[in-house]
Amino acid sequence: MNILVFTKRVAATQEEELRILDEGKTVDLSKVPFKVNDWDNYAIEEAVRIVEKSGGAVTAVSIGDAESDEVLRRAIAMGAKDGLLIETGDALHDPAARSGMIRNFIQKENVPFDVIFTGVQSEDDQFGCVGGILAAILKLPYSSMVVGIDSVEAGHMVVRRELEGGLQERVKISTPCVLSIQSGINEPRYVSIMGIRKASKVERKVFKAGGYSEGADAKIEVVKWTYPPKKGGAMMLSGELDDMCGQLLGILKEKGVYQ
Amino acid sequence: MSYTLIVADVRQGVFGEANLDSLGIASLLGKEVYLVVPEGAYEMNEKMADAVVKVKAAEEVFLNPLNMGNILEQVFGAHGKPGHLVFCHSSSGAESAAYAAGLFGFPVITDVSGYDRERGVFLKSYYSDKIFGEFKAAGDGPCVITVRSGSFRESVLEKSFTARVEAIENVEIAAGRTFIEYVEEEKSDIDITKAEFLLSVGRGVGNQDEIPSYEELAGTLKAVLSGSRPVIDKLWLPKARQVGTSGKTVKPKVYLAMGISGAFQHIAGMKDSDCIIAVNKDAEAPIFQYAHYGIVADIHKVRDKLKEIAKA
Amino acid sequence: MLEQLATRVTTCIQCGRCTGSCPESGKTPFNVRMLVRKKQFRSVIDEAVPWYCTSCGACTIRCPRDVKPSEVIIELRSKMVEDGDIPVALQKALENTFVQKNPWGKSRNKRAAWMEKLDFEIPHVSETESKRLLFVCCIQAYDPRCMVIPANVAKILKAGGMEFGILGEEEACCGNEIRRIGESGLFEELQEENLAAFKEHGVKEIVTLSPHCMNVLKKEYGDTGIKISHYTEIVAEMIANGAITPRGSYGKKVIYHDPCFLGKQNGIFDEPRAILTSVKDLELLEFSRSREVSLCCEGGGGRMFFEVEATYQRNAEVRILDAAEKEAEVIATACPFCVMTLEDPATEKGLVVREISEILTEVL
Repeated sequence: MNILVFTKRVAATQEEELRILDEGKTVDLSKVPFKVNDWDNYAIEEAVRIVEKSGGAVTAVSIGDAESDEVLRRAIAMGAKDGLLIETGDALHDPAARSGMIRNFIQKENVPFDVIFTGVQSEDDQFGCVGGILAAILKLPYSSMVVGIDSVEAGHMVVRRELEGGLQERVKISTPCVLSIQSGINEPRYVSIMGIRKASKVERKVFKAGGYSEGADAKIEVVKWTYPPKKGGAMMLSGELDDMCGQLLGILKEKGVYQ
Repeated sequence: MSYTLIVADVRQGVFGEANLDSLGIASLLGKEVYLVVPEGAYEMNEKMADAVVKVKAAEEVFLNPLNMGNILEQVFGAHGKPGHLVFCHSSSGAESAAYAAGLFGFPVITDVSGYDRERGVFLKSYYSDKIFGEFKAAGDGPCVITVRSGSFRESVLEKSFTARVEAIENVEIAAGRTFIEYVEEEKSDIDITKAEFLLSVGRGVGNQDEIPSYEELAGTLKAVLSGSRPVIDKLWLPKARQVGTSGKTVKPKVYLAMGISGAFQHIAGMKDSDCIIAVNKDAEAPIFQYAHYGIVADIHKVRDKLKEIAKA
Repeated sequence: MLEQLATRVTTCIQCGRCTGSCPESGKTPFNVRMLVRKKQFRSVIDEAVPWYCTSCGACTIRCPRDVKPSEVIIELRSKMVEDGDIPVALQKALENTFVQKNPWGKSRNKRAAWMEKLDFEIPHVSETESKRLLFVCCIQAYDPRCMVIPANVAKILKAGGMEFGILGEEEACCGNEIRRIGESGLFEELQEENLAAFKEHGVKEIVTLSPHCMNVLKKEYGDTGIKISHYTEIVAEMIANGAITPRGSYGKKVIYHDPCFLGKQNGIFDEPRAILTSVKDLELLEFSRSREVSLCCEGGGGRMFFEVEATYQRNAEVRILDAAEKEAEVIATACPFCVMTLEDPATEKGLVVREISEILTEVL
């Protein structure tokens, strides 16, 4: 089985304080480190496990600037056979534009695949749409929130989707198809720096995004970036640690959950 | 005249509360509201929409993006394309929204948590709620949106009349993806949804080694220990202890959150608790916006101090 | 890899002196002699076992055949790192170090946040005349318990009239633990990054806070031509030549715990003791197992970042019981990892753990 997996290099903003510049026009990421999108890491691991078990090859694809080569090397170190970079200058915020570009790329370059994996969403924009739009425009079946691949058969797969409240649904999906992989589906292996260095010896092909943008215009626009709206907010307990903890225990007593 | 079309989220025979947020934003959009639902014996207030389109299909057929394409085609065929096509930002809502956007070539904006009526812009989270983007669709065509649970339910307007009912009798069922069964995750001996007092830990715990010490604190306080997604993903606590949209929704008397920053998926799972107390070292952590009481401090220090005072 | 670190498993005669000195062998599933044996014969190794090693170095010091068992462990771990099959908590620590240059994954932009505790400014090392660098490193830069250490040491150095600067956000993790976890590639990247910064700013001398940083900078960064010291060496000298004089009194029984990376691995035993004995009314006690045979606190070799499976009486607890038996009130040490591991059981027993700079700051 040949699996095409999309992987994105994203800003690691978890620990950072972000600032908005130019009156809302830009988010300052100049001092923020970058990493592979967490969801894509799970998707690559899942794809690699499938081909390790039942043969085939994993091809990792990234849309982004030249630096995105880093996540391709990483994917190769994990077990992908090839890495393809669709190089763009600007960030594409619109998932429709990304999906359209991917469709054009796959068709124009005759990229072979049996299944396409994406992460459920990317950590930065949290759109969670590329897989779904891509499936629709390629006229393929789609499933998102995949937390388990129970079987891979000729012509179909059985997968589990995560719903709300600890419930899952098991569905049968014909191949070729597009699956968006949820975090927690597996435990991704560690990728060592030596592994990444070895992976660097595998040639990654670079394609200029300009050749695949026909009919893939952005359908939405960012008007402005803003800070999160402030809501009511908590009553903040203050004082020394002793005082605050004493007050906390007082609240627990008052609510009747602690004697 | 254009209208707003809402696709309902119905799972296991329940018309979920998250649908109220779709109805709420529809009120703000100010056009006629069409609500498309799968047929079933569930309860819902039929005064919240102008028209309800009942689809003769089981919920699992309905909430399948491939079949949804056919259902939407039939609605568009009868009424033309809507101004906005609204889904819940849930597992199935987000899935069908993206697929429908691709199928019909509509723009899509997901996880919408605010709407500025005057400027016609939608507020969408970026970077785990650290930044929000104001988005709008290019052009005047239909736009797909998914709405964040809890964001718009206060804007729901009950109408003076019951919605007129329409029906879709036949749905073309796609062969590409078929439902097999529902799977409940493995049951554990502790049911966090039944607990009166939850001590919930998050990423801020930092290290698996710290977990036993929080178990101890939970024991001392007679609380049940639960966690947010990062803690469960790292296998520090069993899945059954997860609070949030992909875990359990809890409503204890007291929810004490330590080291949880408050990603909305987590908030959605605990915001209806009677009393929320948050401890976090980051004064800007979003959870403080939802908490009733807050402490800005190192959680390990608070843990140790609580143990000390409680034991004394 | 540096020549001096090359292991010699083939020369091992299985005498067992390594196991005899090992703080883990006997009480956990870890047996260092057995692992060397298995390495000799390339036998299968239970993958949980090599992670018990605390890199204390006792085995390597005691080995009569220069096998370097502690380096053998690193080689075993390296193979597991390359296979991607390592404990999840360590995986996280390595990934964090790759992205943010510290194992905790804290923002690199906040690496100088500990300075907020100071009422004076510390210049960037490039702006100093001496080009003397205070190398802060991760745990002191980010851990709320350990952030006081750089602040205190800075105050002490300033009081002693010494000029120094910092690298701030340009500093990366020293990599001592990273190399010991077996991630040699990541270690090399950290080393290159730090060396480039030292070179760019013309660093001539480095004062370290953690013995772990001192060890790696001194022994594993290659021939840098930079003078590397632990702050206790500098401060002991300042006290000796009268540049600083502790004036206050500290009327407590203090027992000194030798950190492995400062003591047995780098021979710094007397300077910390000299600092402590210079303090008025401070009564210095000694553990039965002190200096070269000091009992490891189990904070090294990656053990700071994850919890081993076996349950057994931790060395830190043993150490605290020993201290209590000696009727000590305060356990003093000169390593942030020791502070972290010892403090938990100490608090339980009503004892106090202090980094030497904390005691000195109190009486200055």
